[in-house]
Amino acid sequence: MAGESCLFEMRGIAKSFGGVKALDGIDLRLRAGECLGLCGENGAGKSTLMKVLSGVYPHGSWDGEILWQGQPLRARSVRDSERAGIVIIHQELMLVPQLSVAENIFLGHEITRPGGRMDYDAMYAKADALLQELGLHDVNVALPAMHYGGGHQQLFEIAKALAKQAKLLILDEPTSSLTSSETEVLLGIVEDLKRRGVACIYISHKLDEVERVCDTVCVIRDGRHIATQPMHELDVDTLITLMVGRKLENLYPRIEHAIGEVIFEARHATCLDPVNPQRKRVDDVSFQLRRGEILGIAGLVGAGRTELVSAIFGAYTGKSSVELFLEGRPLKIRSPADAIRAGLGMVPEDRKRHGIVPLLGVGDNITLATLDHYAHAGHIDRQRELVAIEAQIAERRVKTASPALPIARLSGGNQQKAVLAKMLLARPKVLILDEPTRGVDVGAKAEIYRLIFELAAQGVAIVLVSSEMPEVLGMADRVLVMGEGRLRGDFPNQGLTQEQVLAAAIDTSARAA
Amino acid sequence: MQAQSIQQLFARYKILALLLAVAAIWVFFHVATGGDFVTARNVSNLFRQMAITGMLACGMVFVIIAGEIDLSVGSLLGLLGGVVAVLTVNQGWSTPVAIVAVLGLGVLIGLFNGFWVTRLRVPSFIVGLGGMLAFRGVLLGTTHSATIAPVPADLVYLGQGYVSPLWSTVLGVAIFAVVVALAVLRRRRRAQLQIRQLPWWADLLKVVAIGAALGVFVATLNSYGGIPLPVLILVALLAVFSYLASQTVLGRHIYAVGGNLEATRLSGVNVARVKLVVFGIMGLMCAFAGIVNTARLAAGSPSAGTNGELDAIAACFIGGASMRGGAGTVHGALIGALVMASLDNGMSMMDVDTYWQYIVKGAILVLAVWVDVLSRPQRD
Repeated sequence: MAGESCLFEMRGIAKSFGGVKALDGIDLRLRAGECLGLCGENGAGKSTLMKVLSGVYPHGSWDGEILWQGQPLRARSVRDSERAGIVIIHQELMLVPQLSVAENIFLGHEITRPGGRMDYDAMYAKADALLQELGLHDVNVALPAMHYGGGHQQLFEIAKALAKQAKLLILDEPTSSLTSSETEVLLGIVEDLKRRGVACIYISHKLDEVERVCDTVCVIRDGRHIATQPMHELDVDTLITLMVGRKLENLYPRIEHAIGEVIFEARHATCLDPVNPQRKRVDDVSFQLRRGEILGIAGLVGAGRTELVSAIFGAYTGKSSVELFLEGRPLKIRSPADAIRAGLGMVPEDRKRHGIVPLLGVGDNITLATLDHYAHAGHIDRQRELVAIEAQIAERRVKTASPALPIARLSGGNQQKAVLAKMLLARPKVLILDEPTRGVDVGAKAEIYRLIFELAAQGVAIVLVSSEMPEVLGMADRVLVMGEGRLRGDFPNQGLTQEQVLAAAIDTSARAA
Repeated sequence: MQAQSIQQLFARYKILALLLAVAAIWVFFHVATGGDFVTARNVSNLFRQMAITGMLACGMVFVIIAGEIDLSVGSLLGLLGGVVAVLTVNQGWSTPVAIVAVLGLGVLIGLFNGFWVTRLRVPSFIVGLGGMLAFRGVLLGTTHSATIAPVPADLVYLGQGYVSPLWSTVLGVAIFAVVVALAVLRRRRRAQLQIRQLPWWADLLKVVAIGAALGVFVATLNSYGGIPLPVLILVALLAVFSYLASQTVLGRHIYAVGGNLEATRLSGVNVARVKLVVFGIMGLMCAFAGIVNTARLAAGSPSAGTNGELDAIAACFIGGASMRGGAGTVHGALIGALVMASLDNGMSMMDVDTYWQYIVKGAILVLAVWVDVLSRPQRD
């Protein structure tokens, strides 16, 4: 064994969630000062693996072993692994915006005087020194962190990690909210850290960044280790092939459906970031949709797909603008109520937060959007409502002991079928499905796919936002690809490959140009 | 059993548990007072005392289910009770006109509170806190901190009068007839639409239980002059609010808004309007409570309703409403109000020092909610 030179090693890491294997025998090793790129599609298991490593999932909740400087590491919590020197920087920034930059950098590891009083002088001085090291010379560390933009904040996170004396730094999509010049600064810092002997694991969809800073690349897919190779033996195209790799299985029972005339159009959709209005989450996206068409919208996490469909449905929380036309008439949509009335429906991405009312019964959830159909002058005809509910439960195959059972008790797949039933009762002409099979078991998935095809055959126009590439390619008639808030491609789904879609989403050509 | 979920049974047992708690409290006070507590006279008084907290609790339980809180209701009760006294005593308005005006004013002030919460997005806790101070101030200003008396006899009757035993019996029988008719109609409709029925004995048991409770209730009150008018009003409000909660679009939307605001908004519900209406109803209930309170005291008092909001809120939580919104029942809140009123009444009879009364009520509130938390299935 290459004992001394190896800073850390993972052996045969496996983790399952309720019988589903999320990780299956992953091996990783890293030397001090080495940067390892971790690549894989959405849902390949990268985040799970990093949660195992950083102690989010405590020792014992997974199989395999981690060796840290030759010794077994049994972290029970994030604090344990941080004490060892493993620090993760999450994709979403974890700063407390109201606290000062220095307070953030030392949060949980405050420098104190005897008696527990905060030693602000020492913290300000040390924070300043750390930021100087990172090349930030213009930061007032006493100001609240929210005074600074996303790029600076990302660097504060790194300073926070350095303050904890990190020997291994895990960066999860560190540049997803940065501008290109901020990205440049960050990449420079990673290179500098390597020279100082800090090891890094760099997780990114942006393969050009991986190519630049990483010495080794590890590709995982479906929770399995696919390849680990030195970066100089690889190129971006080979990487994409390794990431996608698999053959499409026939999960998708296509039902032939006629595609009619253009029924819906969105023009110049633009969404501003609610926190930082300088940034456009969606930037001038337009598309058309035909009757009976299934339009897939693919892209990487953070590409602006959810923001786009939320804006169309009148549900985007920040500022947005879009011109909508349904059957040739312009629509004025200011709220989801307007959208539903106009003939749009949406199954939102985050079922728990936006789809279900957990304490209400399955039935009450199903009729929530259309309660007026069963009421006269505000009085609900409960028996008539129950008939409609029972019909939906049977038709959509929602497995529930009773319509009165709180929906939170159902499995994810059955909850999702109930949310679908809710929208279908409103008889939408355009149905937006945002990640409709996330957290849904395979059986329910197949039923949802069948339902989507049936709806298309009935002439409903469907927008299917999905991060699962096989799903998009298996379902869609046409595929839009989004990246960084822009429309990057519009492909008819004939002979379309995952490589083409991924290449458009990553858009290496645009970067090279 | 299939037709009923475990959750429903559980919820039903919870009410039973609450009723058992009330029974335990009553037994305790009955023994401690040497047999003076459970008498027709005292039970009649007890229900009359409970009526005002109960009216507030009816409105408050909707506010809490919708995920909000209203701390201003005690002061608003005092203000509206003061206004009805000023209008009838100082301005010489006739009682019915004054009552209608105050009910309208209550709705308007409630909507005003709701406007601050929904449109101007000030948290309801703060709006309530502000109202609690401001409404009390307006009351002190209008009445010059003096008691306004004597209010007209017909107004006093509203707070102190009784429905005669004969009419009480007629009312009791009528209510029972309605309960039976509703049960029969429901079974018929379900048969017609071929929906699963409860077994006939379950419905029968329910009807018999309601009938028996109603019989004991009316008979007890009849042996002390009949149903007190405030209690009658409360029973009517219980019926109306239970109907609103379970049979109307508004009621369903209130539960949905409190259970998951975002999911409800995305289902096309105008969530701001639902909350606005809830605050309007709360104002209306403050008007009811204020009028009855003034009638009961036969005077407008500048200190009326002090701490009333706390009793109402405590009643809702004892009755199983969830702090996080989305869960709670009207009858639960009223049983909660009964618990609070029983404690007040019993401890007064026992001549317990005021400070002990506060300590006991506070402890009971925390304990009751703790038991509720223990028995609640964990979310997420």
